Amino acid sequence: MTFSLLHATDFADRLLYKIVPPLKAGMIVLADRYAYTAFARDATRGVDRQWVRELYSFAVRPDLALYFRVPIDVSVDRLMARRVKLKFYEAGMDLGWSTNPLESFRMFQGKVLDEYDQLVQEFGLEVVDAKGSITEQQRYVRTLIAQKVKMSQLEMIDDEPV
Amino acid sequence: MTSPSDPVEGLNGNGLAGRYYGRGIPYLPIEDYPGKLIAIEGTDGVGRTIQIQLLREWLEVKGYGVVETGWTRSPLMQPTIEIAKSSNTLNKLTFVLLYATDFADRLEKEIIPALKAGFVVLSDRYIFTALARAGVRGVDRQWLRNVYGFAIAPHLVFYLNVDVKTLIGRVLESRGMDFWESGMDLKHGDDIYDSFRAYQLKLLREYQSMADEFHFRVVDARRSIDRIQDELRRQVASFLEPAEKPAETALTR
Repeated sequence: MTFSLLHATDFADRLLYKIVPPLKAGMIVLADRYAYTAFARDATRGVDRQWVRELYSFAVRPDLALYFRVPIDVSVDRLMARRVKLKFYEAGMDLGWSTNPLESFRMFQGKVLDEYDQLVQEFGLEVVDAKGSITEQQRYVRTLIAQKVKMSQLEMIDDEPV
Repeated sequence: MTSPSDPVEGLNGNGLAGRYYGRGIPYLPIEDYPGKLIAIEGTDGVGRTIQIQLLREWLEVKGYGVVETGWTRSPLMQPTIEIAKSSNTLNKLTFVLLYATDFADRLEKEIIPALKAGFVVLSDRYIFTALARAGVRGVDRQWLRNVYGFAIAPHLVFYLNVDVKTLIGRVLESRGMDFWESGMDLKHGDDIYDSFRAYQLKLLREYQSMADEFHFRVVDARRSIDRIQDELRRQVASFLEPAEKPAETALTR
């Protein structure tokens, strides 16, 4: 619960200082992770799903939400290839499912991925196949964004007389 | 951002004592815990802390195990809350969420373990303080009640009721008026006295509006410390001990 609420507090702070002002100014805001991360992660930690959704009801619903989906094996391989040290909470070590960080990571993140799959339907997330190359992914993402944002319709920054 | 599914069962006055108000914490079932949760509510400077201190001594002499918990006292959150209050970055939403985090931490780490072990938990302020402060600041009430759906309904809630004139006298005689207790963040004006009065009046109204719904036992806090304490002890005793008397007579037979 405290984990969930601390993240919500941080999110609220960023929402009000970093997200809402640029939106009001007509800018495009790119958010690396959003409330959906909390929905997936907190539910995996045993927090009530509906409660978390209600908690985040102050969030702005994104115009477009992309979900980069990879199988757990690909995710683990990529992390291991970079020899990163798995973070305690990222590996869900706080849940005590396994004392082995890698095994714990697999179990925890595997469940997180299951939660994400449910969110795709519920919130209409656009799924990007993240197994592919960076270039392929980026091209696909650009087509998705181009559909949402008509570049010609964007307001010029200095549309008011100086 | 809420999905169009079932409405959340949030906080309301139908909560059963010792149970979660709403959906609660799914991984911490609390049914049939032997402890008792007693909340002492009331605005800033009304005298809650001294009453709790006296109540604790009395209960311990009678042989009860007592645990105290108080607003913003969680080891996890207290430093953060102090830093946030001393800077100017808090807005009403982060303010509310920091308090909720502090409460969740104390609930999981202090209150629930103590109830499980059969302690009497004396809570210096409870979630009603959060509801009152947020209400004054215009935070969405239903949202907040849903957030606090993980709270446990206390067995007893004492509300130390006072009028603003008496309160002002007491606060000035003791420690003086403080920025947050005067609601200076609400920017009613530069004058701390006017701001304190206006803010506390609103707070008292918020508490009052919850009194019936959440079964507050309203205690007139304009009286002396001893008189108030006598009343609290009488009510706590009749709650904790009614079953003990018949048991004693049964033994002597």
